Amino acid sequence: MALSEVQIARWARQLLVPAFGEAAQERLAGARVRAVGADGAASAGLVYLVQAGVGRLWIDDAETVGPADVAGWLHPSSAVGTPRAESARVALQALSHFTVVAPYPRGGVPTAALVAAPSPAQCLHAAEASRRAGLPHVVVEPDADGGAVIAIPPGAPCYACSRSTSGAGRPALPGIAALSSLAAAELVQLIAAPAGLPGRRIDLVRGVATLRPTARLPGCACYPAAR
Amino acid sequence: MSAAPLDLRAFACPLTWVKTRIALERIAPGEVLELWLSGGEPVESVPRSAEGEGHRVVRVEPAGTSWRVLLEKGAVSPEDRPWR
Repeated sequence: MALSEVQIARWARQLLVPAFGEAAQERLAGARVRAVGADGAASAGLVYLVQAGVGRLWIDDAETVGPADVAGWLHPSSAVGTPRAESARVALQALSHFTVVAPYPRGGVPTAALVAAPSPAQCLHAAEASRRAGLPHVVVEPDADGGAVIAIPPGAPCYACSRSTSGAGRPALPGIAALSSLAAAELVQLIAAPAGLPGRRIDLVRGVATLRPTARLPGCACYPAAR
Repeated sequence: MSAAPLDLRAFACPLTWVKTRIALERIAPGEVLELWLSGGEPVESVPRSAEGEGHRVVRVEPAGTSWRVLLEKGAVSPEDRPWR
């Protein structure tokens, strides 16, 4: 299906990116993204995904909006105490009619995942579920000085192989927004150019980014069984 | 074989190049795309961008206050190029 004139105008800046063409935009439109976590830390990335034109964004967050979430980009102060998934849905759906935003449906079959869960345990669990399902996924791993974003295409070393165990806390608001947006950008690349991005980890510490390919830990469950 | 002419005289950057790029994506390597552009920035930047992505600028010629540009699609599609 060719992009309409309105869609071309809407995503003109994105369509300028080298290696990102009409077919890539159509792959985004066909994607069903499971977003694990919709707190203040995840919000900038969720906005990015909607503005990039993913077809469906399913919000997977069982918590309610807390006062800290209001400091992000999604949740109004009037939403404190209400379900985070619904509050995020309302805010995100208002941004674009090209994306269907909904709470994660029971039995839903996503094609990609953004993991920005509040706790390391939730991140590990969601990332492993994504790996087992063969989904391209990106994990946000904040710590006090910034954090990291780990891109995991199908078959790449898993999050458990590449995660940091030393981080604690969360960076200041601009830092977490940068991290969250970077994760969404990585996921957009994974969806738009499925063979174009290797497994990699980007550390973003005090505004300085460093990138390295991820490596598999011997004995990890993600090690290919056929080897 | 050539694609239908693309009249971009009513558009400004970045839509001039975005629409050209999409039109090039829709045709086969070796096919020629005919563009109609306004003078100034569009006729300067669109051929340059096309060359930068591996297409051949066959002709750039004035036609009254407009410009007629012929681009031959290169062998490498934008999608085959690496992300920068």
